[in-house]
Amino acid sequence: MKTIPLNNIDTDDRRFCISYPLEDKTLAESIGEIGIVQPLILLDASPLIVITGFKRIMSAKKLGLANIPAIIKKARADEALLLSIHDNLGRGLNAVEKAHALEKMVSADFPRQKIFGIMELLSLKPHEKVLGNFVALANEGRPLKDFIVRHGASMKNIEYLLKFDARERKGIISLLSPLHITDSLLREILEMLILIRIRKGAVDLRGLRAPRDGRDLKARLKKKNYPLLSSMEKRLSAVKQRCALPPHIDIKIDPFFEKEYIDILLKIKSEDDLRAAMEKLNAILEDGYIRSILELTQG
Amino acid sequence: MNSLRVEHAVSEGNIVRDCPGTKDHICCGYKTIDLIEGCPLSCSYCILKAYLNTPAITIHDNIPYITSQIDEMTGREVRHILRFGTGELSDSLALDRRYKLNRPLVEFFGERKNALLELKSKWASIDHLIPCLNPYTIISFSVAPQRIIDEEEKRTSPLYKRLKAAKKAQDAGCFVGLHFDPIIIYPGFEKDYRYLIEDISRLLDMDRIIWLSLGLLRFPPKLLGHYIEHNRRNLLYGEFIRGEDGKMRYIKQQRVKVYTMLYRMLKKKSKGLFIYFCMEREDVWRKVTGMTVKDDDDLMTLFDERIKNLYGGNI
Repeated sequence: MKTIPLNNIDTDDRRFCISYPLEDKTLAESIGEIGIVQPLILLDASPLIVITGFKRIMSAKKLGLANIPAIIKKARADEALLLSIHDNLGRGLNAVEKAHALEKMVSADFPRQKIFGIMELLSLKPHEKVLGNFVALANEGRPLKDFIVRHGASMKNIEYLLKFDARERKGIISLLSPLHITDSLLREILEMLILIRIRKGAVDLRGLRAPRDGRDLKARLKKKNYPLLSSMEKRLSAVKQRCALPPHIDIKIDPFFEKEYIDILLKIKSEDDLRAAMEKLNAILEDGYIRSILELTQG
Repeated sequence: MNSLRVEHAVSEGNIVRDCPGTKDHICCGYKTIDLIEGCPLSCSYCILKAYLNTPAITIHDNIPYITSQIDEMTGREVRHILRFGTGELSDSLALDRRYKLNRPLVEFFGERKNALLELKSKWASIDHLIPCLNPYTIISFSVAPQRIIDEEEKRTSPLYKRLKAAKKAQDAGCFVGLHFDPIIIYPGFEKDYRYLIEDISRLLDMDRIIWLSLGLLRFPPKLLGHYIEHNRRNLLYGEFIRGEDGKMRYIKQQRVKVYTMLYRMLKKKSKGLFIYFCMEREDVWRKVTGMTVKDDDDLMTLFDERIKNLYGGNI
């Protein structure tokens, strides 16, 4: 290990960099307090090129450090890239970092077998399609990458996001970024946006602006994608509201109005409870509300 | 089709079996003969993409083994006239000129005269079968507007060829079947289906159509992702819900509307036409046709009546 002046290193050369994002506040604070504990690995060149330690060197620069601890390594470019990838494997890479690793391997003309081997180490399916998606992600701009890292987006959601063109994606990311949404809710939202795109040829985000939360956005999209179902739900809710059912009576209807029957649930503790429930049911039957509900289930 | 990988399977287990049907939907009691598994036509919506794991085509060509299973099944059945088909896991005619698997079955059903064989296809090639055809074989075609054939059934025969082949079968003394399945909802589909029905009534003898099925598009949920991935606009246009059987299907309100439209158009062309729904619910049957068909047995009875009307005592 040597102490290397920062001036001797080309800190802008990112050919082996897979880390994303490079800014790391916690690491910077730690380096500020006790310095760089783990030495960087630098490629023996003039100037020296970073193989591992991009976050550390960014923090060092920011903190105004003049020297850093490092190991100088003689290696071919392909060996250096593999070293960078393997050095990072242990810490659990995010999707964008995986994308960077794979894109760099593809650009460096690594044989497919080798790339697929690394994909397995990254817990990815070694398939051409998956590789294609990751390479596409690596070539995307910061807004998408930041969104994916922040939301911990799954492979499926990354695939969905890549289906939109750049303009649509920009709009979608700005729509979704302020929301706290789970990956499964994100998936439902993206699936509905894709359906709109496939059906209409483009995504029109008007009418979706400033949703209260993820559920509100999902509800608005559902209205656009499932107008019949939404209108039936609305009618059902109106009828149920008019019925003014007490908490111990519930009418359950198939969520998609497929089943031709409804379930009526009663919670009773005494004969009087049952009598009261039956009276209430009789009243809503006489008022035609049961018929209205049954009509909804009959298409 | 020259690049197809075809494997000949060892005959074991049930090659002749009940159509699997689907939970809470009325099934017609069809019997399937898995003569061929896998299809070279590769229609975009095909559910075989979800059910079959291999791109290879598997052929069961041990005909005596198959006919013994058919005999066993017909021997067991005392109430209904059985209908058998080879078009469940493949297209009945697409590979037949090459492998000639149907001919012995056609002859077998012609000799037995106790059940019907249906050859269901989108491939209009029946000339090789004409010399051996008999009334106990039903030549059936799945039909759709030409726009859907062009966009979703790219490797199949065009509509006019299918109808021409059906006419040829009628002229050879056979009854034919037609299957509007899958019916796909897309912008302007109503007009296209009206033209389709016009074409059918102009080209075919409507009295020699033994049955016509209506089945709106339905598919296992995992195919939804496949359709999205391949931007299948036509297939994704309607409003899909997850049915009680777990399959994706158009919402009931849409199904009833479309079935009613087609049912009326078809009945207008031929009042006596036997129309049934493939995998539909009792209330949809009632709402569209006014008939009460409450279970599989009711539907099988309707088939029995239809067949007896056409065949008299000859079956």
